[in-house]
Amino acid sequence: MTRRRGQAGTLTLPWPSSGGSTTTRASADGFVLAVAVVLALVGLVMVFSASAVVAGNRFHDSIYFLKRHLAWLAFGFLLLQAASRLDYTVWRKMALPILGLTVVLLILVLIPSLGVVVKGARRWLRLGPISVQPAEMVKLVVVLYLAAYLTRKEGRVTEFAAGFLPPLLIVGVLAGLVLLQPDLGTVVVIGLVTLGLLFLAGARLLHLFGLVPIVVPAVAVLIWKSPYRLQRLMTFLDPMKDPSGAGFQVNQSFLAFGSGGLFGVGLGEGEQKLFFLPEAHTDFVLALAGEELGLVGTSAIMVLFALLVLKGFQIASRAREPFGRHLALGITLLLGLQALINAGVVTGMLPTKGLTLPLVSYGGSSLMVNLLAIGILLSISRDRQGGGQSRGIGGR
Amino acid sequence: MTAKDPQRLRRIVVAFVLMLGFAGVLCRLFTLQVLQAAELTVRADRQHRKTVTVEGGRGGIYDRQGKVLAINMDVPSVFGVPTSLENPSGVARDLARVLHVRADEIERKLRQERSFVWIARKLDPEQGRSLESLSLEGIGTVMEGRRFYPKGPLLAHVLGFAGMDGQGLEGIERRYESYLHGEKQLVVLQRDALGRTVFPKGLNEQAPSAGHNVTLTIDEVIQYIAEKELDEAVATTRAKGGVAVVMEPRTGAILALAISPKFDPNAVRAVSPDRWRNRALTDAYEPGSTMKVFIAAAALEEKVMEPGTLIHGENGQMTVAGTVIHDHEKSGWITFSQVIQKSSNIGAAKTAMALGEERVYRYIRAFGFGEKSEIDLPGEAAGLVKEPKNWGRRSLASMAIGQEIGVTALQLVTAVSAVANGGWLMKPYVVSDVRDGKGQVAAQNNPQVRRRPISAETAKTLTGILEGVVTNGTGAKAAVPGYRVAGKTGTAQKIDPQTGAYSSTLFVGSFTGFVPAENPRLAIVVIIDEPHAEAWGGVIAAPVFRRIAEQALPYLGVSSQAPVKLALAMVGDPTP
Repeated sequence: MTRRRGQAGTLTLPWPSSGGSTTTRASADGFVLAVAVVLALVGLVMVFSASAVVAGNRFHDSIYFLKRHLAWLAFGFLLLQAASRLDYTVWRKMALPILGLTVVLLILVLIPSLGVVVKGARRWLRLGPISVQPAEMVKLVVVLYLAAYLTRKEGRVTEFAAGFLPPLLIVGVLAGLVLLQPDLGTVVVIGLVTLGLLFLAGARLLHLFGLVPIVVPAVAVLIWKSPYRLQRLMTFLDPMKDPSGAGFQVNQSFLAFGSGGLFGVGLGEGEQKLFFLPEAHTDFVLALAGEELGLVGTSAIMVLFALLVLKGFQIASRAREPFGRHLALGITLLLGLQALINAGVVTGMLPTKGLTLPLVSYGGSSLMVNLLAIGILLSISRDRQGGGQSRGIGGR
Repeated sequence: MTAKDPQRLRRIVVAFVLMLGFAGVLCRLFTLQVLQAAELTVRADRQHRKTVTVEGGRGGIYDRQGKVLAINMDVPSVFGVPTSLENPSGVARDLARVLHVRADEIERKLRQERSFVWIARKLDPEQGRSLESLSLEGIGTVMEGRRFYPKGPLLAHVLGFAGMDGQGLEGIERRYESYLHGEKQLVVLQRDALGRTVFPKGLNEQAPSAGHNVTLTIDEVIQYIAEKELDEAVATTRAKGGVAVVMEPRTGAILALAISPKFDPNAVRAVSPDRWRNRALTDAYEPGSTMKVFIAAAALEEKVMEPGTLIHGENGQMTVAGTVIHDHEKSGWITFSQVIQKSSNIGAAKTAMALGEERVYRYIRAFGFGEKSEIDLPGEAAGLVKEPKNWGRRSLASMAIGQEIGVTALQLVTAVSAVANGGWLMKPYVVSDVRDGKGQVAAQNNPQVRRRPISAETAKTLTGILEGVVTNGTGAKAAVPGYRVAGKTGTAQKIDPQTGAYSSTLFVGSFTGFVPAENPRLAIVVIIDEPHAEAWGGVIAAPVFRRIAEQALPYLGVSSQAPVKLALAMVGDPTP
């Protein structure tokens, strides 16, 4: 075990030779791939159903969004296939360069002549014919960086200055840049993923709880300083107060879920997408699924995510490399938390954030990043050991 | 291994927390989609669907020749979608220029938190076109059926008008509402959040059928003549108003019904509602001497008088019940015919007294006074005929000269038509038939006899006397060259609203009669209300009768006797 830790620090050995193990690479986890494919297909159908009317209205082309979604999906699955075949340990070496590149992109998007403003936020970077959202990449980059960091510092996360604090500072810089866009939703996700990974890596509870008196006032100030965030919070606390104004989105979402009932009104029959439901093809795609596919459809989507999360934990537990374990846990947290927050927002349990439902919602950057994450997860799943064995998993 | 792996416990904790989260979401979904489903569905339906009544086009109104008097036109209505407006004040300014209304009023409408507001309804097609050329975002137009009266004020008081939502409010439009309005169909429209109608749900394959078409007995040409002549007379005499009704005596069909002053049913709000009244049937007035026709009819029918019966004129003054009755023209012994022709009040009073209260009352009622004629128009008044038990000592004499009695112009023309029609009193009507879109008759008015107050013989005798009114009596100005006219003048003092007594300055001048006397085709009543200066019916109303008759008769193809007389003269006088 000590030898392995040493190797982890040198970043020299590729996976097959490490530890001189006799195990051969197993096949990728078919279940995870199946779940990803099913969710992506559900997303494809819902995006078309949701966006046809809006697209026809806005671009006089009812398959405008469908075409783009399909293109991103195809590209995303290519990435997934490539990543699942690629030895995931390369990400450990690339973590820092990628982190640096991301910081550059996050700065570039803030430059007015480069960043494209949509709905008051400077989030898009136009690269030729496509535009990308650096903030979507940040989520995965944070996971890559933390996995690499925790692997290197294994055992020292319990120390404050040498283990616990550095990643918080790095992530804090990234979060600050994202906040300038502004995109609080992404900040919340990377914050939670960071805390989750530190907790899972064995960080002291004292340190973690010590963050509460720092983070809570900071978030409070951020909300208080921004009228729209404050309004969203107020709306969340009392959505019926102004159903036509700020509470409009969530109310419309409720109506969509409610009219769907148990079995839904049928695919394409949804009426809420006719401009009542805002962002029906992106953030609120689950509400549309609720209307057209009913509780059967929405609970199936949620159960798929839950199974994906459980499978992710299993892959992490079976990973032979600590880096694989941290990476699998990070990806699992990333997908699971985003799905939960999105579902929480859409069902009115959380205040509105600009978060997509991973793999399902329309949105090229998000789709691409999430499929890449699944690909990496699949790659980790290839490098597994018997479920009963606990060799090396965080053991000290 | 568990003991050696503290992070495994942490993984279990995190996985458990996440699973709790998913369980929470599932519970929430169950609440929304099962427990609250019914309530939320109702609310969703309310915003998606709007039940509207779609109505077929309103039926048209046509004159007896099939000329259009009222039709439906599709005109634009403009609405706004406030939620999709970025610059309400700019849009309001643009709209205000086209619509000629205040910009701030439009802006107020556009600033409402609603997804749909009407800005202006049923505009001129011209305004609709200029709005479309502006192509403002968030502003749209739809076509709605607007009632249009192509002839403007012509026949307005009979046609009435329909309201903004197409419901008949006055006149034929109101009385025949049940036929005119289109078939109503409830349609559930699906709306998007911008308030636009997306796809109608449950719309029948068949569009709702249009309303029935109504054909009137009115002849547009005669109506035009009557209105023109009445308006001219009212203008030249500077009168308060006037009424002219032209009836076909044999059927009771109204050929023309003119009211002055008139109004334009295309712009009803421009005048006070008072102007909308069809005063030919809503307002009763004291008729004055025209009433003598019916006293004479009673006297002849009851054989109390004959045309040659001599009556003493009391040299123009007779005291009845302490009051004095005057004659315009003092006379001694005159015949009963002359009583009517010279319009002797004393002679008429004596005739009524000879008949007695019971018979006078019976005949007045028999001619249709004091009861509604049941014409197919709304708002008809019954007039006022007191029962004999309520009469005073002077009442008998008063009623003989058309006082203490209230009659409508319609009652008067209907009653005089009975004299023209061999004694048969007909029911007046203005609609000849109602047909559906395929031309099938849905309702029809046929001439209807109400009763026969006098015999044909009496009618004939009376007609002779009334011809004398025109040939050598007070109605000389009603004479139509080439035709024999029978009629009677009337000049009634109005009751001064201030004193409650008969005014010496406010009069109603009238003439009622029919032509040609030997074979009546037209019965006409002309009433001029409060003329200035000259007030005599024979001077102000009789010429209107003549001018209507002399234009309407040739139009109807009623041959004049003048050339016939000339031909007879030539035949009958071949030798010197």
